[in-house]
Amino acid sequence: MIELNNITKKFTLHNQGRTNISVFKNLNLKINPGEIVALTGPSGVGKSSILKMIYGNYVFQSGEIKINNYKIDYKYPRNIIELRKNTIGYVSQFLRVIPRVPTIEIVMEPLLEINFDQEEVRERAEKILLDLNIDKNLWNLSPLTFSGGEQQRVNVARGLIRNYQCLLLDEPTASLDNVNKDIVLNLINEKKDKGSSIIGIFHDESSRKYLNAREIDIAKISHGN
Amino acid sequence: MEPILSVQNLNKYYGDQVGCKNMNMTLYPGEVVGVVGESGSGKTTFINSISGNLNPDSGKILINKDNEIINFLEISESLKRLLIRTELAFVHQNPRDGLRLDISAGGNISERLMSIGHRNYGNIRQTIFKWLDKVEIDKSRVDDFPRTFSGGMLQRLQIAKNLVTSPKIIFMDEPTGGLDVSVQAKILDLLRKLVRELNLSVVIVSHDLAVIRLLADKIIVMKNGEAVESGLCDQVLDDPQHSYTQLLVSSVLQV
Repeated sequence: MIELNNITKKFTLHNQGRTNISVFKNLNLKINPGEIVALTGPSGVGKSSILKMIYGNYVFQSGEIKINNYKIDYKYPRNIIELRKNTIGYVSQFLRVIPRVPTIEIVMEPLLEINFDQEEVRERAEKILLDLNIDKNLWNLSPLTFSGGEQQRVNVARGLIRNYQCLLLDEPTASLDNVNKDIVLNLINEKKDKGSSIIGIFHDESSRKYLNAREIDIAKISHGN
Repeated sequence: MEPILSVQNLNKYYGDQVGCKNMNMTLYPGEVVGVVGESGSGKTTFINSISGNLNPDSGKILINKDNEIINFLEISESLKRLLIRTELAFVHQNPRDGLRLDISAGGNISERLMSIGHRNYGNIRQTIFKWLDKVEIDKSRVDDFPRTFSGGMLQRLQIAKNLVTSPKIIFMDEPTGGLDVSVQAKILDLLRKLVRELNLSVVIVSHDLAVIRLLADKIIVMKNGEAVESGLCDQVLDDPQHSYTQLLVSSVLQV
């Protein structure tokens, strides 16, 4: 369960004339287990900011965010580290990895946090890479030279190899063809059926419909500007 | 879970010059803390002050050893030296500072083992080979002198030398500083694997925010000897609150 209550978020740019940019005032959101919430609205409205606040990347000025009753508070980084290790998964738009590390190891990494059986973890990683149509010949190469769509699927594999109770998805299908998009959407649906609370940004309406997502137009529910 | 290392109100002055001032840090098992800031900001003074290389003027350093809290600045010199050899390790920017160049690679690795009483030659040789393997140095190089090694190999040898006694807390001062980028990537990958496999706790100083982003869980941003901002690494880099951190983050060149 993910809950946002009365969230206020602004950016203060100290070196650019102390400009204040207000993003949210009194933002409220709740994502139940087994539910997919899709954030909609024009770019710049703060959709990614919501995911980043839930993941602990962005500070908010007032209100509270709770993940299964644990509060997200940037003043207690240890709690966020634990939540990320155990509870929250995040598929970002961009792949950020150490250069020269093979794809298979990158996909294994989140699962190795909790499962120390190298062989079992490797099998799980191979399975999800197969599911996502990543050619076997690529598994031992670094994904940094892959195409945009392949990189995105590596990112998805890494985020979905575990069964997180909460999943944050930032345009997980943006650069995929229709075949691979459907594969990713089906994997997301499986996570929902297993009881994950899922919140995401999906650029096309057909994906949101396919996922049977509850749509929330951010421009309508927050009054940042 | 209890912190393995906790630094409280630490101060170090050079005469009336501030080295580092009012520094606080908590480090949990398996956690990596990055310390960033420009040259002269006090990063190296801080890491040297908490690792036994420098004597701070005031403050507390508490080390949790098997659930016993040790007050690092108040114990005897001999106990301190034992802790430095067993529980702590220090990886220098320049591997030549952390290695003996006139003894073999194997001799460098075994030195810490022998200093804490290991004497069985066969066992020591086994341990040396295990560590050469872990840091990806070919076994055939065991009796070669470090001066015949490349910069990247020297750094990996220094890491092996330091980790052989299974220390819990590793201090690293710019461990990839002098290396070309392809070697840097290999060392970063190695460090991440070792942190996970051995549940190491690491304090790493670097001026390279990309290195810190890939390795660290938490971050301390220093300026003029003080911490201006600290917290979760992603948060401080993605949504910095202090003007200096904002300047630092926005000054990084995009590749």
